[in-house]
Amino acid sequence: MRLVLAVIVCKILRFIGGLLGRGSSLPGQFALKVCPDVLGRVKLPENVIAVTGSNGKTSTVEMIAAILNASGKKVVYNKEGSNQIEGVTTLILSNCSLGGRMRGDVLLLESDERYARHTFRWFHPTHFVITNLYRDQLTRNGHPEWVYDAIKPAVFPETTLVLNADDPLVSCFARDHDPAKVKWFGLDECSVSTKEHHGVYHDGARCPVCKARMEYSCYHYAHIGHYACPSCGHRRHGTDFTVTALDLKEGTLTINGETGLSLAFKSIYNVYNILAAWSVCALAGADRETMAGVINNYMLKNGRMVTFTLGKHRGTLLTSKHENSVAYDTNLAYIAATDRPCTVLVIVDAISRKYFTGETSWLWDIDFDRLSAPHIQKVMLYGRYCNDLAVRFKYSHVPADKIEVGESIATAAEYLKDNGDEDLFVITCFSDRDKLLAHVERNG
Amino acid sequence: MELTILHLYPDCMSLYGEYANVMVLRRHLEATGVSVTVETALFEDTPDFERAGFIYMGAGAERTQKAALAALLPHKEAFQAAVDRGAVVLFTGNAMEALGASVTDAAGKVWPALGLADFTTVETDKRTPEDVVAHTALWESAAVGFMNKCSTTKGVNAPLFDRLSLGFGNEDEKGPEGYVSGNVFATHLTGPILVKNPDFTDLLIRRLFAAKGWELPEKLPVLPYEREAYEVTLKELTGRAGG
Repeated sequence: MRLVLAVIVCKILRFIGGLLGRGSSLPGQFALKVCPDVLGRVKLPENVIAVTGSNGKTSTVEMIAAILNASGKKVVYNKEGSNQIEGVTTLILSNCSLGGRMRGDVLLLESDERYARHTFRWFHPTHFVITNLYRDQLTRNGHPEWVYDAIKPAVFPETTLVLNADDPLVSCFARDHDPAKVKWFGLDECSVSTKEHHGVYHDGARCPVCKARMEYSCYHYAHIGHYACPSCGHRRHGTDFTVTALDLKEGTLTINGETGLSLAFKSIYNVYNILAAWSVCALAGADRETMAGVINNYMLKNGRMVTFTLGKHRGTLLTSKHENSVAYDTNLAYIAATDRPCTVLVIVDAISRKYFTGETSWLWDIDFDRLSAPHIQKVMLYGRYCNDLAVRFKYSHVPADKIEVGESIATAAEYLKDNGDEDLFVITCFSDRDKLLAHVERNG
Repeated sequence: MELTILHLYPDCMSLYGEYANVMVLRRHLEATGVSVTVETALFEDTPDFERAGFIYMGAGAERTQKAALAALLPHKEAFQAAVDRGAVVLFTGNAMEALGASVTDAAGKVWPALGLADFTTVETDKRTPEDVVAHTALWESAAVGFMNKCSTTKGVNAPLFDRLSLGFGNEDEKGPEGYVSGNVFATHLTGPILVKNPDFTDLLIRRLFAAKGWELPEKLPVLPYEREAYEVTLKELTGRAGG
C-alpha cells in the first residue's frame, strides 16, 4: 500500500514540478519519506545499466540510450543528470505502474561516484560500467582512491562489471569479483600512444595495490595505458572490447579489428566513451550494424563547445570544469593541435557554481605548457583569481611577453572587440562562461 | 651560497599540486642569490639527508601515506640527525602525520610513524575538505589555504597555528592546527601553501639563512602577482568567515 502511495505522491509532485519547471529530486525525496524502501519493492526491467567514473558519464549514457533505442529497446534514463538517490527514485517511480512495475526494457543510470552505494543498496544493476578515476573536484571528492573506496560498496557479486582495462585503479574493482562477471574494454597500442608519461602529475606512478613502482609499456593519456606491476603482478587485463586502430586526425577508429567508425568529436575521451557504450550495448544484446550506424550518425550534443563572434575574432568557448585538470588538459590539447594564429583567454572568476571555495591548487595540476605552442600569440588571464593564474603561468613554458593579466572580464571582452582578428579560444567553467558570453554574438 | 632541497616521494606524495611548494621556494631562494639543487627520493631510494638544507614532503592518498611511512622509517636516525643539525623541514597535508608517534587507519590498524613528536593521528571514514584562514605568532599576516583530510591528530603540544578563523584544526573546528618545533614545520593545509602565503615562504628563507649562517639581505624579494593573489584569497575567505 505504501508502495502505491509513494508512486502516486511521486507522480503528482512530478506533474506539479513539471508545471513549475522545478528540479527532479523533490518528488523522489517525498516518495522516499512515504516508503523508504520503495526502490527495493518496485519491479525493475530485465536490464539495469549503471555508469560511473570521473569523466564522460553523461556522454556515455547518452550514447548508450541512443544505441539501445535504435535496437528497439525502450530505455528509461536520467536525462536531467539527477544522479543521486532522490533523482533516481523520481525517475523510476515516474515510469512505474501503480502496481510498482517499471515500464521499459532498460533502466539506464548515470550514477554519482559518491552516492552509488546509497542507490544500489535497494537494487543491484545488472551491468555497472566504470569509465575512469582521476583527480576531479578534490574539494569534495578527496582523491581518486577515496572515490574508489566509495564506489566499492556499490559493487555486488551478481553485477557484471564493465571496466576500463587501461585504468590501473578502475581495474582493481575486478580483484575480488567473479571473473566470469567482468568484461573489459581498452585500447591497443596505437597512434595516440606514447612511451613517456605526459602531464604535470602521474597518478599511475605507483601500483594501486602494493604501491611499488608501476611499469608502463605505453600511455594513451594521463595514467591510462598498458601497465604491469613487477612487484605484485597487478596488470592490465586482456580486453573483450578493443579499439584496435585509431586515427584521431582523420577521426576514425576500428573496434575489435572489424568495425570501422567515424568520430563526431576527435578526442581520445570520446573514443573511450564510444568504446564503453559499445561494450555494454553489445552485452545488452545490440548488434554490430545497429551500433555502428548510431555512432557514425551521432550528433554529439556538445554543449561544452560554443562558437561565437567577438569583434573580428572567430571565437570558440571550450567549457572546462574548474577543479578538473584532465578536462582542462583536453581543451588545451585541442587548442595546441590547431594551427592558425590565435589568442587564448583563460577565466577563473568563481571556482564553483555549487559551493563556495577559494581553493586554487588544481591550477597546478593543469599542463599549461601546452599553450607554449608558437601559433598561440597571446594568453589572457582574467577573473577574480587572475593573480593565481599569473603565478601559475610564471612556472610554465609560456613566454612572459605573451601573457596579459586583468580582473575584469568585461574589459577583456571590450579589448578583444576592438583589437585583432585572430582566432580566439576561451577556456572557462560553467560557473564563469556566461560572464564572457554576455559580451559576444553566438553563432547558430 | 648553495642549498640542497630534498623532496621526498614527489611521484606519489603530491596530491594537490604540492610539488609547487618546492618550485616556489626554489625561485625565491634563487632570487635571493642562493644556488639551489633539488634532489628527489623515491620509496626505493636512500634519501640523502646529510646534504639536505630543506626537506619537503606533501600529501598522499591514505594507503600511499602508509607506504611512505614504511619507506621513511628505516631512515629515521638520519632524518633526526638532519633536524638536529638545523635543517628546515616542511611536511604538508597528511605528511604531517608522519612526524608524530603513530597513525591509526580507519580499520583500526596502528602504523608507527617517525616519532619526532608525541602526537598521534586517527583516520576516519569522513573527509574534512575546508577552506582555511589560520593565525600564527610566527608571522604577521593570516595564512590562507585549503585542507582535505580524514583524520584528527591529538597531543600536539606546539601547534603551528594557534587558532583558525576558518577550517578544522588538529582536533576540532577552528582549533589549533599543525605542528612546529624549531625548524620543523607541519600543517594539514594542502596544496601549494607557499605559493599562497608569501610570508610563510619568507619565514622559511630566514630560517634557512640563519641555519646556514648566511647574512640575510635587508629586504627579501617580492615576486610578481603572489601578494596580489594572497590578498584576493584572504578577502574572499574572510568575507566567508564573517558571513
